[in-house]
Amino acid sequence: MDVLLIPRLLIELVGYVLTVAPDILPIVLALATPLALGALCGVLNERSGVVNIGIEGIMLASAFTGYLTGFALHSTVGALPSLVLGVAVAVLTGAVLGLFHAWLCVSVRADQIIAGTILNIGAFGLTAYFNKLIITQSGLGGAGVLPGLRIAPEIAGLPLVGPIVTMFFQQGPIAMSVLFLVIVLQVLLFRSRWGLRTRAVGEHPKAADTVGIDVYRLRYLNVIAGCALAGLAGAYLTLESTGSFQNGMTGGRGFIALAAMIFGRWTPVGALGGALLFGTFTALGVIVSVRPAGGELGALLQGIPTFWYAALPYLVTIVILAGAVGRAIPPAADGIPYEKEARA
Amino acid sequence: MKRSIALVLLAGLVVSACGGAGLPGLGGGPKIGMVTDIGQLEDKSFNEFSWKGVQDGAKAVGGNATVVVTKDTADYAANIQSLVDQKFDVIVTVGFLIGSDTLKAAQANPNVQFFGIDQFVADPAPANYQGLLFAENQAGYLAGIVAANITKSNTIGAVGGVSAVPPVVAFIKGYEAGAKAEKPNIKVLVNYTEDFNAPDKGEASAKTMIGQGADVIFQVAGLTGAGALRAACNANVWGIGVDVDQYLSLPDAQKCIVTSAEKKLQVAANDAIKRWKDSGKQGGNFFNDAKNGGIAASPIRNISPVPAGLQAKLDKALADMKAGTLNPPSK
Repeated sequence: MDVLLIPRLLIELVGYVLTVAPDILPIVLALATPLALGALCGVLNERSGVVNIGIEGIMLASAFTGYLTGFALHSTVGALPSLVLGVAVAVLTGAVLGLFHAWLCVSVRADQIIAGTILNIGAFGLTAYFNKLIITQSGLGGAGVLPGLRIAPEIAGLPLVGPIVTMFFQQGPIAMSVLFLVIVLQVLLFRSRWGLRTRAVGEHPKAADTVGIDVYRLRYLNVIAGCALAGLAGAYLTLESTGSFQNGMTGGRGFIALAAMIFGRWTPVGALGGALLFGTFTALGVIVSVRPAGGELGALLQGIPTFWYAALPYLVTIVILAGAVGRAIPPAADGIPYEKEARA
Repeated sequence: MKRSIALVLLAGLVVSACGGAGLPGLGGGPKIGMVTDIGQLEDKSFNEFSWKGVQDGAKAVGGNATVVVTKDTADYAANIQSLVDQKFDVIVTVGFLIGSDTLKAAQANPNVQFFGIDQFVADPAPANYQGLLFAENQAGYLAGIVAANITKSNTIGAVGGVSAVPPVVAFIKGYEAGAKAEKPNIKVLVNYTEDFNAPDKGEASAKTMIGQGADVIFQVAGLTGAGALRAACNANVWGIGVDVDQYLSLPDAQKCIVTSAEKKLQVAANDAIKRWKDSGKQGGNFFNDAKNGGIAASPIRNISPVPAGLQAKLDKALADMKAGTLNPPSK
């Protein structure tokens, strides 16, 4: 066996990744957006002590209502206004479902896993039903997609800087809003009164209650706000990314979002990192066959069945969650309903 | 309070369980049943057009048709059995994945005629089970001819679903061959996403191909492919649909679909039922291809005028495939 083979392959790999970077970067953020928004929903919920595994269902329901709004209105009010309204309706749907989840988890003190499951199953069934009833039957299309920003080719063509600029700014409005939301939430969560209170409510609600923080109110508020973000993720899927609704189209993204949240240790910036990592490996799987590498590396990469590339993001997620990030410790009161008069 | 939660849960379950069986057959004549692949009946693709064909066939033989919609791959066998138990004469099952359960049911019930759409029946084949196959390579070849004639960049792309499903590969191999026959130096970019249900991955694939200069995108990837066609539309390049005329079935991508590599599912199911009526039990495999009108390229849309000579080239290829002088590769 050639001893220099492995180092040579590694060098080729680095060269290859650098050459395809301009192709990968612009699609990474697009693939990461729904995951990042879903993860933000998880962060807001769990930081205040409510487990939400219903992100998947909320995304799906919002994707549907958003699409439906555009579908119903685009011929009367025009494509763009109907898309904007669609986003608003999707966010509202998320908020309403968040209210429902908060009611179950905070007021009723129901099992939070079951509450999330209700959202997932209910959303899947109801959206498929109404999709069949209203949309597929009509044979008509939706309002299209939100227009993205176009970067001037002079800037996009710059070496090194160009791809990074296009990655973040040659995107639709929702994808770009992710960066803004992540930074704002990171600052608020760790540098504001609301953030301190939220974390207190998630770590030790009794103590928070003792100093006069309204635990119920804050949990309601955060769950609703978080779920509104999951609604935005749904809007992204139908109104910015694909321009159409399909049954079960979230395809597990709500759960990957939870993995991204854990990867990021319940911080907004970390969650974005997790989402971007997942997006990068998904993009890599695409690039390898569209822009095949040359030489020995190319022969090796072409020899690997495409299934492995499709599985790559999931494998990486497992490996990272299992070891690389170290022990992930959730907020202490995560998933435990708060009872004012409960003992201890 | 507890009760209201239970009610909500129940409502969720009931709704998600809906979409079950159709109406049982009424009146006399043969009872023709169909079991769908997972998904919904109105999928504007396999299930829907097979069902139309089954209904046509039932009408033609003076019988009546019933459909059972499959929700999960685990239910294939039970759904077939439910039709067997109701004494159906003909049972049509849809899709590659339901094949092994169909074979078992055919072996256990020699008096019932089974047709399997997209299922290859291997020897020793039961005399009452016929696979209805399609020459996807031929349909793909026609799509490749169209793509080669409308590309300006001399680069075209194809987004595939799961590469372990032979029809997917056959479509794409045919597509490559068709394009290369037209323009030997054309560049064909291919990506198997290994997923039929990820529109964003389809979109990412198509975007990357477009970034590489592709100006025609052929999708063979179900809902993943719908994402690819959307990306083509957004980038103002052409899209080519698959299985059915997607200009009609995918309104969200209507403005950029040029044609579709079609399997005539409705014709195939209808003809199979008529064959059963006319000449009794059908076994082995029946190939729907250019010879019997089982495949086609959908009418050219959106481009006007249609490039000179394109229709003639398509007709010529179809005629050669009919005559057997042209055999595009399928793997």
